[in-house]
Amino acid sequence: MTDTGLAVRWEGVSHDYGAGAVLRDLSLAIEPGDAVALLGSNGAGKTTLTRMLMGLVRPRAGRVSVGDWDVAGRRPDEMALRVGYAFQHADQQLFARSVREDVAFGPRRLGQGEGLVDEVLGELDLAALAARHPYDLPVPVRKLVTLAGVLAMRPRVCVLDEPTAGFDRGLRELVIAAVRRRTAGGVTVLAVSHDRAFVSAVARRVIRLDGGRIAADARTDSPG
Amino acid sequence: MTLVRLREASFRYAGGHAPALDGISLDVLSGEVVALAGRPGSGTSTLLLVAGGYAPRLVGGTLTGERVIAATRPSVVFATPWTQLTGLCQTVFAEVAFGPASHGQERERIRATVARQLARLGVEHLASRDPATLSGGELQRVIVAAALALEPDLLLLDDPAAELDPDAADALYDLLRELAAAGTAVMVATPDTERAARAATRGIVLEAGRIVHDGAPAAMPA
Amino acid sequence: MIGFRPGASPLHRAHPYTPLAVAGALLCLVFAARTPAEVGALALAAVALAIVGGATGYVARPALMLALPTWLLLFVLHGVLGPDPHRAVGALQISEPGLAHALVLGGRITAILFAFLTVLATVSPARLVEAMTERGVSFAATYLLVSTLTVVPRLRARAAGILEAQQCRGLRLGGSPVARLAALGPLVLPLILGALAEVDEQVLALDTRGVTSGRVRTALDPPPDSAPEWALRWVCAVVVLGAWSSRLLDLLLTLGTRAQELGR
Repeated sequence: MTDTGLAVRWEGVSHDYGAGAVLRDLSLAIEPGDAVALLGSNGAGKTTLTRMLMGLVRPRAGRVSVGDWDVAGRRPDEMALRVGYAFQHADQQLFARSVREDVAFGPRRLGQGEGLVDEVLGELDLAALAARHPYDLPVPVRKLVTLAGVLAMRPRVCVLDEPTAGFDRGLRELVIAAVRRRTAGGVTVLAVSHDRAFVSAVARRVIRLDGGRIAADARTDSPG
Repeated sequence: MTLVRLREASFRYAGGHAPALDGISLDVLSGEVVALAGRPGSGTSTLLLVAGGYAPRLVGGTLTGERVIAATRPSVVFATPWTQLTGLCQTVFAEVAFGPASHGQERERIRATVARQLARLGVEHLASRDPATLSGGELQRVIVAAALALEPDLLLLDDPAAELDPDAADALYDLLRELAAAGTAVMVATPDTERAARAATRGIVLEAGRIVHDGAPAAMPA
Repeated sequence: MIGFRPGASPLHRAHPYTPLAVAGALLCLVFAARTPAEVGALALAAVALAIVGGATGYVARPALMLALPTWLLLFVLHGVLGPDPHRAVGALQISEPGLAHALVLGGRITAILFAFLTVLATVSPARLVEAMTERGVSFAATYLLVSTLTVVPRLRARAAGILEAQQCRGLRLGGSPVARLAALGPLVLPLILGALAEVDEQVLALDTRGVTSGRVRTALDPPPDSAPEWALRWVCAVVVLGAWSSRLLDLLLTLGTRAQELGR
């Protein structure tokens, strides 16, 4: 986990889904290694903004870049080499017969070794469940498995969409520790989260979106 | 009034390695707000299903011990709102009206109930929206409204605030207290023991399917 | 895209039973029709249905994508490789009876696709539920029909989410046939597993909302019906009955004639 994080930039980005603007001429720069929390009510544009980093959404106007890559010219599977995206609803990606197999899927796809897989499983307290079928596990644990799958890909930018939704304190602490380890290692982290405890524990900068624009942007005192 | 009575109740899912519930004894009374806490896999969700009479009837498995359900109108809300949509309704209004309509209530009564519950959950402005287009938080509040439209005497909730922002979560727990004050028995499983403790009249902690604490909500481990 | 699209066309505004009756009649009639001209007329009627439903824009593409490969196959199997007599058309030798047969089969498929996809696009599942509830149809039958109509869009939406999630884990689409085959597992398995888990959850959801209460459901907002629509549905039934009776009669006469000839 000593890979350097990458800068992330949205420049003059606008987008709509055909029923009103979701993002309005938004510009935002996140420096390498920063830990940012993205807040805002439902419909404020947070998810659209983050999905642009993977190329899942192409802005109607403006430019999105991750490091020296313009996202416009890249497919999502290419962006996966740099950005790890943990979806809010975990079940959409679980398919392997065991937790370990599922977590190893991403690293194998990217041509990375599986060396990090066992380390991440241990980090998220999933080692004892490595041989279990993901669908035999409770929903919060399945969500943790998908997070492990993302972290095992050694992303230089981590995007987390509500990473602690439905978690008790124990699971939240695991996620906080894992995120802190990455930010300490210089990985850029962007988290969409309603969880105040999580945000105050990891974020060094808090950005609030409202109506597709940045309504507030402040640094925090969090050790992160 | 005792709405649910369990005595040495144990429940095992079909093909389960270990019992999901092991020797549970408890009474749930009207007017109570019972907070259930425990690590994932401890049995809180299963306890809700058993208390509501949904297990083993709908999920299979075997129940032993004694269970008496005096509640006549149980209603349940799960943590994942998008799995609780009927898939048959084009609007939020119709979705919330689905339950009362299934019970053959009159149209005027249904309309009045739905309007009241939507307002209570602060989602009246979503009445004509397609449920499939709502965010997680909006949808969860709609599902709670749908559960309340049945005017339950026993309300079971499994992590109902998972998708809600802090203000909406506070509002939901206030509502649960209000419902209990009007006589409904409420059982809510949640990892958010701090928030639940403020609203609950009783806290139960489960570990490996057994009750390890049953008493003051504030004494539940966070 | 396959699935219901809101709109204000006559089909959208009609009682849900009406487009179902018209499309159902077309489906029955294409199998009673035997000549390319008859089937062609019915296929055109199905296309006209799509136009009336304002659905041509999103029905034509999937219908043609499914129909055209079938047409090609039929042309080769029957038009080229069919029985004599053959006629030269440019460099090809086309079988006349084979071509006629291909036109009938191809026309049937086209009519079925256009009619079925138009119904999917213009009949609102929610309105259909209300219509069936008002007519006293059991919830089980209602749910079965409506779920069948909505299964494709639901699975498609789910598949889209899975595709995104797996692409974000480095799954690349396209490439060699082997690579494509290997990509199926991570795409199809979550679809199936998730769909099965969803069935469990939906059973719970529906039960908790009282579908097994045993009481007669209230139709909250049943769609209005009208005398002309009612009459149209009856006309469809009569036409289908007439067409099939005629076909059956022809068949019996043919069998009778053959039997007589054999007897001589």
